[in-house]
Amino acid sequence: MKTLSGLALAVVFSVPLARAQPSFKGPMPDATVIVDASLRRAAYLSRIDEALIWRAAMAKPGEPKTFGLGEIVAKLARREDAAACSERLIELMKAPTGDMFWMFPVTAIYYLGRDQLTPEAKAAVREAWRVYMPLRGDTENHWAMYYSSLYLMAQQWPDEPGERWFNGKSSQENFEESRDYLLHWMELTTTTGQGEYDCTHYIGEYAIPLLHLATWARDAAMRQRGRMMLDYVFADYAVETLDGMYVGAHARTDDTTLLEKWNGFSSFFGWLLLGNCPPTVSYGGWGIYFVAAAKNYELPEVIYRIGTDRAGTYAHYERKRTRHRWRNSDVRNAPVYKTTYITKDYAVGSDQGGLLQPIQQHSWDVTWAVPDPRGVHNTIFSNQPHFSTYELMMYFSEKPDFMPATVTSQGKPTYISESKLLGGSPYEQIFQRDDTVISLCHVPAGANFEQVNGFFSKDLARVEEDASGWIFTQGGNAYIAYRPLAPYEWKPLEVGGKRLRSPQGKNGTIVQAASVAEFKSWDDFKAAIRALPLEIRLEPTPRVAFTTLRGKKLVCTYGAAPIVDGTTFDYSGWKLFSGPYLNAEVGSGKLTITHGALERVLDFNTVTITDRVKP
Amino acid sequence: MQTLKLKLFFAAWLAALVGHAPLGAAAPKHDLYLSVLLSGQGQIMGGRAPALSGVYRSTDRLKVEHVGFGHIRMFQVIGDPHSADGLYLAALNGVVHSKDRGKTWRILTGWDMTEPKGLVIDPNATDHIYAGLPDGIAVSRDRGATWTRMNDGIRRSYTQTITIDRTQAGRVLAGTELGIYLTEDGARTWRLVQPTTETTYDLRQSPHDPKIFFAATTSSGALWSEDRGRTWRPIAGVPKKHTLHNGVFDPSAARRLVLCGWDAGLLVSEDGGRTWLDRTAGLPNRQIWSVAVDPDQPGRLYASPFQQPVYVSEDFGLTWKPAFFEKATAFNLTFVPRS
Repeated sequence: MKTLSGLALAVVFSVPLARAQPSFKGPMPDATVIVDASLRRAAYLSRIDEALIWRAAMAKPGEPKTFGLGEIVAKLARREDAAACSERLIELMKAPTGDMFWMFPVTAIYYLGRDQLTPEAKAAVREAWRVYMPLRGDTENHWAMYYSSLYLMAQQWPDEPGERWFNGKSSQENFEESRDYLLHWMELTTTTGQGEYDCTHYIGEYAIPLLHLATWARDAAMRQRGRMMLDYVFADYAVETLDGMYVGAHARTDDTTLLEKWNGFSSFFGWLLLGNCPPTVSYGGWGIYFVAAAKNYELPEVIYRIGTDRAGTYAHYERKRTRHRWRNSDVRNAPVYKTTYITKDYAVGSDQGGLLQPIQQHSWDVTWAVPDPRGVHNTIFSNQPHFSTYELMMYFSEKPDFMPATVTSQGKPTYISESKLLGGSPYEQIFQRDDTVISLCHVPAGANFEQVNGFFSKDLARVEEDASGWIFTQGGNAYIAYRPLAPYEWKPLEVGGKRLRSPQGKNGTIVQAASVAEFKSWDDFKAAIRALPLEIRLEPTPRVAFTTLRGKKLVCTYGAAPIVDGTTFDYSGWKLFSGPYLNAEVGSGKLTITHGALERVLDFNTVTITDRVKP
Repeated sequence: MQTLKLKLFFAAWLAALVGHAPLGAAAPKHDLYLSVLLSGQGQIMGGRAPALSGVYRSTDRLKVEHVGFGHIRMFQVIGDPHSADGLYLAALNGVVHSKDRGKTWRILTGWDMTEPKGLVIDPNATDHIYAGLPDGIAVSRDRGATWTRMNDGIRRSYTQTITIDRTQAGRVLAGTELGIYLTEDGARTWRLVQPTTETTYDLRQSPHDPKIFFAATTSSGALWSEDRGRTWRPIAGVPKKHTLHNGVFDPSAARRLVLCGWDAGLLVSEDGGRTWLDRTAGLPNRQIWSVAVDPDQPGRLYASPFQQPVYVSEDFGLTWKPAFFEKATAFNLTFVPRS
């Protein structure tokens, strides 16, 4: 535990140090859990100031290109250079671009600048909202940004006719439509699950709009809902982190964060809220729009504790939903069943497999803890590389044939590659129990691609191919046994490490993780794994019977429900959240957050937060 | 933005010099509207756009002017039967209306409707608008002021295209994910008249014979109906392996029609769909997004090859020349009557 005097010094000196060397370049933060609430708050405020000072200083005199919306918001949050901000803002409002990604920065600027900007600058913003029609977009995060911003600006400029708005709707119409969507989204999320769940980057595209609502909504209930949804999103994040890194299955991640687990916008929130990892470069870029209002939010201690306490091992379960399915499905939002097992040394997480999200789905992995995660590929997993117009038509309303190639030019370059490591497959079925994952694949002949890829990091301390068929590895303080179900070959990776390519449609992977501390030696670990009962069958359809290191007898057959200790597994009772820390029933609109004696209940039915310290 | 518009204007003007001839002395009765993406395949929502996409209008077939907002997904333009200056758009943000030829706009739909692809107004009940949505069909009985979802009877309600039987109010055909549906009671009930395995992308009624309808589908080829859409038969000679995007009757030649699609190229029939001629030669690729027949100039045909200029032919596809833009994906080419 951090001492009072020690932390006070750290707070006093952290800002000047940060000016010289921002945290994304500096040494690893001291991740000691801060018990004292005032010190925790002081450390949080210090990090906010660090980011604001850094971003404000990016604006160089005489270089307008360095003085963008991010610099303006930082300066206004620091209440400095209001005249220069006004002047620059007038210029920037002449050519708006960025759609919903333009809306929330300008909203933050306007609210922060209400008593700082010149009348001319405010008029320029007002005019931009009359003439510039932003795209509303086609994803859940787009709409969160669009409608939260429209809500706040309609609130700011009430009683104006449609002629004064880009979309021809009056202030009242815009306010009501935005409010109705936001309430709908909050209800859907807290009863059925988020669609873009647990995204390593897009978490920010929810957190920022929610903070803006929590800060600037005049309606007390909407302000409260914004605050509660922030708690909800951050609890959802904290419980599935390992030293701030978002672990397990994600609706969306990218080719970089997939391997370098820390390197996602989510780690900015780990740094800011939990203080246990560095922020990503430039404080996540968009992070400035969170810190600009972040003094109006305080992470509840119970969530802070969940995010930082890794003294014990725990299994956590979540139910989410797929993104809207437009075609190739009889259900609009299919359920997503997530399992995450976390220890201080490693985490194992998964979903049930299948096409749950387009393009950027990541279904399972093992992540191990490292002293400094920057540049480290601290993960191991396999995937069934798949792309199809079928997948894209399911989730997009575009014409089919151009989409696969187009996706690769839209920031997802590996989408159609056989070596891809990112994305879901309709031909993969996954089951996890504790720290064991069984992935079975049954790829029909002619599909893209009849193979399984396994990622073996450059940062694995050991990789040994054993005569038993297991591949034994070690990452950090985690031992990981990886069992390919079919013959394979090794392919080098440009980013370092190697890819296991197993060119067979009936296929799969078994992974069993454990802590180094559980065994006397590496050889003991290998012997223990070899001794585990295992039956593998690939014909007529893949089937694995495996007794795990934790003593569970699992039987998984592709196309059938898993069997655990002789009982067929039933997904129907899967809750929205269940585990030691987060619990919520499907349809309840109520999340109970617990750590030790601390408890917070977010009840979206009554729009209330109830805190208690259990006896 | 002004500079960009000037460049586009100049490019169009230059293309016109080397391209097709202007309309004859008679004033055209229609304006050409082009709903285009101009900033390349890599353009993502929220990203900075290097070119101004959206709706362009040509009043003289020589040059184009940008109309309204610069969105990268604009799917259809139709005229407003109540006003010569009125326009309706099916756009990513919803159904949008302009009362002044695109100077100002109002989004007519709310948060619960997105990405309409097909839009049609009943000529026998001109307050009634039908919109095809990714999750069904929406109907307005008051010119777009309010909307009601009306999908009863439709399984898998993704709706790409929607068309009206001009002979009877409330008789509407919808091209959905799994087939063509018909309503005869203004969308209160729908029945499947032709199943398909994948999406139907276009439905058209012949301007010469209202009993005849034509459909372009993803993997069921082109379909033909001679009983006002009650029954359908496949059109021979049209490949089923390609996605067909668009099919159009020639308003000036009763038996002539054209269709296009991805890898299907551009096909022309001069005998009411019995035989088809490939008229893709002269176009830069076979991925043709959309076609349109100029109702004011017999024999003139426009085609939009994927990520290429919009091309024009004066001889119904025998020869082609670039007409507008350097690189476009035209979601829709359509002619809107001036009155």
